[in-house]
Parts: sequence; structure tokens; C-alpha cells
Amino acid sequence: MGNVAIARGIVEAGCHVVTSYPGTPSSEIIPAVVEYKKELGLNTYIEWSANEKVAFDNALAASLTGKRSAVAMKQVGLNVASDSLMSSAYTGVIGGMVVISCDDPGPLSSQTEQDSRFFAMFAKVPAYDPATPQEAKEMVKEAFALSEAYQIPVILRPTIKVSHAKQSVKISPVKAVDRKAGFKKDPERWAATPRYRLTLHKKLNETLKKIQERFEGDSRWNYEVKTSRAASLGIITGSVSFTVIMDILEELSLRKDIDVLKIGTPFPLPQKRVAEFIKKYKKVLVVEETDSVIESQIVDKSKVLGRLTGHIPLQGELSPDVIYDILAKVLKELGMADLEKSGDEQLAKLIDGLNIDVRRPTLCAGCPERAAFFAIKKALPRAIYSSDIGCYTLGLNLKAVDTVLDMGAGITLASGFYQSYHQDDKEIPIVATMGDSTFYHSGTASLLNAVYNNARFVLVIMDNEITAMTGMQPTPGSGITADGSKGKKVSLEELIKGCGVRWIKTIDPYDVENLVKLLKEARQYTQDREGGIAAIVARHPCLIRYPEVGRENPVQVEITSDCDGCRYCLDYFECPALYLNEEKDRVEIDRNICVDCGVCIHACPKGAIQPV
Amino acid sequence: MKVQIVLAGIGGQGILFSSKIFGELGLKLGLDVMGSETHGMSQRGGSVTAHLKLGKFASPLIRTGTADILYSFEENETYKTLKFLRRGGICFINLVSGDRFDKIILAHLKKKEITLRTYDASGAALKVGSILTANIMLIGYSVGIGLVPFQPGDLRHVLTAVSKKKDLRMNLKAFDSAVREGQSFLNPV
Repeated sequence: MGNVAIARGIVEAGCHVVTSYPGTPSSEIIPAVVEYKKELGLNTYIEWSANEKVAFDNALAASLTGKRSAVAMKQVGLNVASDSLMSSAYTGVIGGMVVISCDDPGPLSSQTEQDSRFFAMFAKVPAYDPATPQEAKEMVKEAFALSEAYQIPVILRPTIKVSHAKQSVKISPVKAVDRKAGFKKDPERWAATPRYRLTLHKKLNETLKKIQERFEGDSRWNYEVKTSRAASLGIITGSVSFTVIMDILEELSLRKDIDVLKIGTPFPLPQKRVAEFIKKYKKVLVVEETDSVIESQIVDKSKVLGRLTGHIPLQGELSPDVIYDILAKVLKELGMADLEKSGDEQLAKLIDGLNIDVRRPTLCAGCPERAAFFAIKKALPRAIYSSDIGCYTLGLNLKAVDTVLDMGAGITLASGFYQSYHQDDKEIPIVATMGDSTFYHSGTASLLNAVYNNARFVLVIMDNEITAMTGMQPTPGSGITADGSKGKKVSLEELIKGCGVRWIKTIDPYDVENLVKLLKEARQYTQDREGGIAAIVARHPCLIRYPEVGRENPVQVEITSDCDGCRYCLDYFECPALYLNEEKDRVEIDRNICVDCGVCIHACPKGAIQPV
Repeated sequence: MKVQIVLAGIGGQGILFSSKIFGELGLKLGLDVMGSETHGMSQRGGSVTAHLKLGKFASPLIRTGTADILYSFEENETYKTLKFLRRGGICFINLVSGDRFDKIILAHLKKKEITLRTYDASGAALKVGSILTANIMLIGYSVGIGLVPFQPGDLRHVLTAVSKKKDLRMNLKAFDSAVREGQSFLNPV
């Protein structure tokens, strides 16, 4: 897997400190580094950090002491870390520092499809853009060398189809890099005031110029795939799009008619190489994912076809089908070839006619978050539900989630909603929901701000004691660190109290009846004269991560003859273990999935779900 | 040899394990292996698709209309992924009975010389003793029938190598049983 190859690159480069906050498609990097550490007996310091900015700063500090460091995150994580990235581009690094930001064109598992290469451009740091897992591994190593040579953080930008691609990868020996922490004080650099920042900016621009020169001469990541005949079309491309194009040209025997310039260093762009390539052809097509980073840097665009000329879609993944269609259109326009249409329209129509349900993701059977959402809907049916990023985003299916913006916004939007209504003398019920890991990530500043500014709402922290959505990474609340060793357990309740909240209750959400009562009390507290924000910690371990603890006290249920097939439970409880037997027009239980949580007893208005 | 395989199903059906089997098989046969997986929220019951390319390819992704083999472990996922098959490709579906398959679509596929084979792998897996081996049984059945360019012996070897110790006996039992079923009778739709 691409992320394992990246981890291998980190290890082969002798990296000392690796930090990260989990997020698809980057989450597999840290566990793979942990595996290598154990397998090879390395002394690597590995950290799941509270958030991406925290991860970035911890890695940066290591590099200021002369060590090599890497920080990994998903593309929207770089937004969180961007403050540090922008500033560290000026102040630079000592030991090599590689920032791995995994992009998600599509998007398959993110709130945006932003292109991290633009962040490289924005911050003025160099970016490597791997096309395959093998290349990603090698680029990590070179990125460390470049970072050290020019004292600048370097971005590696794999897209999801590199991070999650499989490839047989050739490994190299692990290089031990002997570095002892030695921070050398230099306040003009490490604590530069605005006056010195101008000097640092000038230096950064000079450094970038030098790196660009180096990329001009690079033939390892930037190279032409040339043909024997004089081609009239050239393609400039990189990342996984390069590999897709090579397969399509091979398949359609078009290699002889089209030359390709592969760019692995999209920023700073090797301008001369690109200009020389463009000179040779009538037209040049630029195919890059996800945005126009290479294209926008090209100085003379008179021959260039790309996003800016409407030849490439402005959004979405460049799948092999999309790239095929782009090529077909361009080749036709240039009178070079008339390709068969891609896909099978007739088949697509027939399949459309079957009206197959799109399988929407749902919370697992027995998920404690479903129980909490069900209780929230029951207790406060007319509230505004501001929620957040995690498994519990799927509370959408239960109509218990009205907003999902970004990490931490469950609380900030709740306080913003409160203030907007309060200004008009209206007190409406607001329920903010957030997972434990998200709260540690960016909930505290939001919460103390809400307390400080007199906001009032009900906050439900769904504490399943794990970062579930991204693959079961430990949280500060678990007291376990990245490599499984013991850390200090952070108390969620104390943290909430520390933010200034004075009404805090903890409950197991499986206890739906009492949770409903508690939610009503909480709502009352938000309306009391001396009241304020009411916080409920709904704590029950994730059943996937902790199957034994999560399933203590099983309650087996059955559907009685009172079930009249009204579907209320299917629509408003949506447990995958409940399904409609269409012949009998009754709900039945799928015993293969059911975990005997017994929560659905509360989900039947007819009382037809009963303990056995 | 160049072979492109698509594996389709839903979370929990062992798509990724199946993909691992073919990946290891490719390595054993001395072929380059590339592939990719789409599994955003698979653990929560979503669709899972894996692409696997054995031989000289540059990209891990398969374009529609170019796959040689489709293994589908779930009925509806079959319809969603049929588009990947090339003219003359072959599809193995985990399905109780061939009668369930949509007749109009079947006729359309026949025009494209696409071969379909259904096999009640889930039923067979239950009989063998573990529903979790349905994926292995569909693969075993396909090599038993002999319509794919792989040898049962090679696959068995690979399966032995990639199985967890506790699953090995059951996996081999399921595989052998399915290979025999495949060898003994054809089940054309």
C-alpha cells in the first residue's frame, strides 16, 4: 500500500520523529511506521497528536534540534496546520522535515477536494507529487535530503490513489542517521519579529529560485516519455494521472503519436524544461489532479489546453474514464483520431432501470452514537443540531445532524446560532454533538469561547474512547500512545470543566430513558436564570474496537406479533440489524449483525420490540 | 501475461483479503502487481471495490470496458460493476441461483460475448462451516471451472501463505471444496 511505502521511506531516511493526526487517506502511515519500529528495533519517536497543528509543531521542533522529522495528515488537516506551515517556510528547518499531505480528489472521504500543491505554492515551499507507491517512497527520502540542503520544510503530496494503491515495492536498507538533539539559539531566526521577517522572506525567495534550478536539472522525477515519430501533441502530467495516461496510450497504440512530460516536482515548476517541451508541439495538454497548479505556473499558455481552456473538468477525480474522455475530445479537436466512446451507454441505461439502492453508510448495529442521537431526537425534537466530523456525522441518516462544517464546528456553530437568535430575544433549543477525538482536536477553544461569551446550548460529547471513523486510533482519553505504550490519560469531564462549563453529567447512552430525562434537564439548565451551557458525556465504548466491553450486559430482543410493519424503527432508528420482511410486511432481526444492545426496544412506538 | 481483475462487494465480505490473494499470486507468477481499493466507509456497510492488475501496467486503476475478470460477492454490487468488463470478459457472481439474474441485462452481456457464472458461494460456505469463506469459495470455484488463467495449485499455495494461522484450515477446506465443485459441473446462466 502507498502509505506503507511512504512509512518505509520515512524509516529508510533515518527519520527520528514522526507525528500525525489521523484522517483518510493518510491514516495508515503512522501504524506502518510503528510496525517498522518494532520489526527493526528502531528508536523512532512516534506520536498521534491532538490535531494537525500540534503534530506539525512537534515535528518542527525536532527538526530545529537537528533531527529528521515527518508529519502526516489529510489535506484538510493542512488547513489546521497552515499557520505553522506558512511561518516555518520563512524561518526554515535544520534537520530535514517532510510534510505529508494526502489529497482526496473525489472527494471520497473529506469535506473539500482542495489541492495541497496550492498550499506549497502559497507557503512557498517545494512539493513532490508521487505517481506510484514506489515513487512515493523514493521521494520521501529525497525530500529529506532537499529539506536539509536548503533548510526548508518540504511537502509530499500523494493523492488517495497513490496512498491506497497497491504495488510491489523494492525496499532499501534502513539508514541510521546519528543526530543528538542540539537546539542552537538564534532569536533573529526562530523568534523573528516582523522587521526580520522581510529579510527571511527575501531569503526564502532566493532559496526557492535555487530549488527551481535544481528541479530543472532533475531527471528522476521529471522526464519525457518520447516516441520515434515527430508527435504533434504533447501532454504534461504528474501523479496518478501520469500512470493512467501511459496505460491508455499503450492500450490504444497511441504512444507513437503523443509525447509525455512527467512532472514530479510541480512546485516550484521547472519552467525552462516545461517551456522547451511546449515549444516542440502544436498543442500541449496539461492533465493534473486536482487543480491547475502546473498549468497556472506556465508562462506562455498560447498552446496549452487544460482546465483554463475548459478541456479538463474543474472538479472531481480524474478517473481513467474521465481521462479517456478528455483525450478523445482533444484528439478529435486536433483531427488526430476518432476514439470509440468510453463506457457502454446501453448497459448503463439498463442498470439505471433496476433502481438499485445506493448503499449509504450507516452507524454499525449497536453503535452507542445511534442510541444517543435517538434520545436527542426524542427529548428535543425541534432543536437545531450542529454536529461535526466523525462516525457520528452519520447521525444525518437519523435526521439528528443539521450542520457538518469542519473539525470543532459542532460547538462554534452552536454558540454562533445561540448568539444570532439571542440577539432577536429568541431562545431556541440547540444541541451540539461532537465525538471525543474531535473534542480533543479542536473543541476546547470553541467551548471556552462559548462559555466566556454567555452562549447557551446543550453539548453532547459522544465518547466511544477511540477515533473510530479513521480506523481506531487512540485518543488522549484512552491513555495509550501511538506505539501502544502508556501515556497520561486525560479526563474528558475535567477538560469540559476547565473550559468553564458548570453543568456536566455522564451517562451510558444505552440507557435511553434516562438520557432523554437528562437531555430535558440539560435544556432546562440552558434556560435557567443562573444557567449556561449544559454538557452531557454519553460514554460507551466503540463496539468494533472494544467488542467485549461494549457488549457487556446483553439484552436479546424479539419482534412480537404487535409489529404492523409501520417502518418507524427503520426510518428513525435505522439499525442495520433491523430489516423489513416484505412478504410478511413485518420487521425482523438479522441475528448475524445484531449485538443484543437492546436499545431498539425504545424505537418501536407500538411496543413490538421486547426483551426475550 | 496481463490480467485485470475487479473484485466487488460490501464491507465485511473479504474483498481486501481476496485482493491480497491475487496480489500474492501475481508475485508468485513473477508478474508486476498493481491495484487499488475504494473503501471509504466500508466498515459501515458501504460498497467495496478492489482493482488488481497483473503484468506490465503503469496505473493501479482499471478503466470501464477493459477488465478481464469480475468477481462479485453481492448481487447488487454486480450490476454496479459490470461496466468494468471488456468484450469477451468473464464474471463470477455469488448468487443463490442464476434465475435471479436480470434477463435483459444477461442478453446484453451475451451480445458482448461476456461469460457469466453464478455460484452460491455463501450457501456453500455455510455448508463448509464458515460464511466468512464465501469469497475464497467463489475464487476456488472459478479456478475449478478453469475459465481463468490461474492454476488451482498456485492459488492454494498463495492462500496458505496469506491466511491467518487460525483461519488456515477452514480456508483450505473451503477452497478445495469449491475447486472440486467447479471441476465437477458447469453452471451456465
